[in-house]
Amino acid sequence: MSPPRLTGALRSFSHVSKNEDFTEKPYDLKTKRLKRQELFAREGLTWQKIVHFCTEHQDKAKQQAASQELKSLLLAAKQIVGSEHGQEAIESAAVFLFETFHNKDHVGTEETRTIRQMFGPFPSTAADASCDCVVRLLAPLENSRVEDFIQTHSSHHNPQRGSTFGRNIAFSYDCYALDPLEDLHCSGINEDQVSLDL
Amino acid sequence: MACARVPLDEQQVTESGPFGKECTLPALHPDRKEDHCFVPYKPPPEDGSPAEVEEFLEFARFIIEDLEWLLALPHDKFWCQVVFDESLQTCLDSYLRHAPRSLDLTALPSSPAVAEMQRSIHRMVFLTFLRMATHKESKENFLTPSVFGEIIYENFLFDIPKILDLCVLFGKGNSQLLHKMIDNIFTQQPSYYSDLGETVPTVLQVFDSILDKCGLQCEGATAIEPMKLNAHKQPTAMTMSQQDLLDIILYLSDSTSTIHAFMDIFPAACTTFHAHGFLGRLTSFYETAVPDLEKAVRKRNFGDKGLQDDLWKRLSHSCRKMVETAHLLLHHTCLQPILEGRENMHTFAEELLQHFTSFLPEKRFLSDYDEQFPISDDISLLQQAIPVIDETRTSYLLQGVESVWDSMGRQRSLNQTRPKASS
Repeated sequence: MSPPRLTGALRSFSHVSKNEDFTEKPYDLKTKRLKRQELFAREGLTWQKIVHFCTEHQDKAKQQAASQELKSLLLAAKQIVGSEHGQEAIESAAVFLFETFHNKDHVGTEETRTIRQMFGPFPSTAADASCDCVVRLLAPLENSRVEDFIQTHSSHHNPQRGSTFGRNIAFSYDCYALDPLEDLHCSGINEDQVSLDL
Repeated sequence: MACARVPLDEQQVTESGPFGKECTLPALHPDRKEDHCFVPYKPPPEDGSPAEVEEFLEFARFIIEDLEWLLALPHDKFWCQVVFDESLQTCLDSYLRHAPRSLDLTALPSSPAVAEMQRSIHRMVFLTFLRMATHKESKENFLTPSVFGEIIYENFLFDIPKILDLCVLFGKGNSQLLHKMIDNIFTQQPSYYSDLGETVPTVLQVFDSILDKCGLQCEGATAIEPMKLNAHKQPTAMTMSQQDLLDIILYLSDSTSTIHAFMDIFPAACTTFHAHGFLGRLTSFYETAVPDLEKAVRKRNFGDKGLQDDLWKRLSHSCRKMVETAHLLLHHTCLQPILEGRENMHTFAEELLQHFTSFLPEKRFLSDYDEQFPISDDISLLQQAIPVIDETRTSYLLQGVESVWDSMGRQRSLNQTRPKASS
């Protein structure tokens, strides 16, 4: 709980702030994750594009192997996103895993964090399985082609975005510090004065 | 994209709707807001369990990521989000309310990961408010100043408590930028001055409530409510619970630091505070509350010596801030106009002398003030600016100051030498 603050009193007792709407609940982590999944599904890379990219220009045997890996990736995605979700959500999760692991060979701390941020707690075996699938899927393909594909379709690549506001502003992290007038030990003020309580 | 060289509030944009059909909308329109869902800020857990720390980190990552996204939006999309996304305002407001102040008891996060995350949010929140306080980003990206003033006021993007929070959270190292922001906000929307005027009585009530909690009657209470002789059972600073005393000193320290930071960064506010008789109330509060609180901190048995030292530092810090606030008020409302040679210099000089004279009965306040900002220095400045100033009056005042020092049995610090008042 925050300690008592002047601005807290001003918010409560003066009429210069917006009235709080106590009926409106702020977003929690679960809702936020669902919203992120929704947003992710709406833009950038799609499962169909990945399927096409991994199977085009391949002979039949390689195509079959790739299809098998894609199926395994979907299965791992289903474990991560939760089996109560529909095909669309599972495919979107598979796309997310594909993007996350396209240039990795194992599940590191950063990848674990990224996946948890998107889906919440998940079985680590499913993350390992999806990483292995992506490694095997992309092994026969040229790195530069894969990078080009990701760059072109990734949701991070958004041509509408400008340069970040305030990038060049020098921000100081300096904070106010206690600045007492005197030490307790040096304070002798009124020490000897007797106050008469009438 | 919106059209160039026309203020955003007058622009129209044509975009394809959900079914591919093109439609034209004002550039600032709720339909152009992204459904982004900002999460509220929660402060770092104090000695939290790993699960609590992880939860803080998750919330923090979302906030940083989302504010980065927001700051990278083009001007028109940024303002659509700012004006129409309630969750963004909740997120920013929650940061201002709950972000740890450097003066809080447990200000420093325990883990480096938490500290690093806290620093990142701190910067992103500041930059977001900075962008929200800027009506002209470039030649192409701007709002009509009056419309900007209306938008920030009507949508509560800024209000007085938020501005005060910004000062105390970011003011130490970013005072120039903050000054520009607040100055622009008040210039484009003068209604903030009225709001500030409405806020000052509540600030004064905070002081009254501290007096009340310490069992020290404030002026209003004695005048209005008769009390039974045996009704005086209210706890005092000496008898209240230790937690209550701690809360009062933390409250006082926060209040005095916040007011001082605000006036220091935005001196134009001094006039509004001054017009509400803030100086007189501040000095009488100081005189009444400080000795009692000091006595309680010095004499009570805390068990924990560290806590006693800490409380003393906070109380002493509050004293410094009150003295500095009084000086800021006098400087900006009386002395500065005299030094600038403005019209009615004599009126300002008269007011300054009246204030100094009114300090004479507030002995404790006066001696602390005089130690930090020698009154003789200001009198000397006054005499140089207005040579015909009444010397009898200034001498009386300086003698009065000397008598206060004598009656308090205090010694000035060694580096402070002062001329004796001529009798």
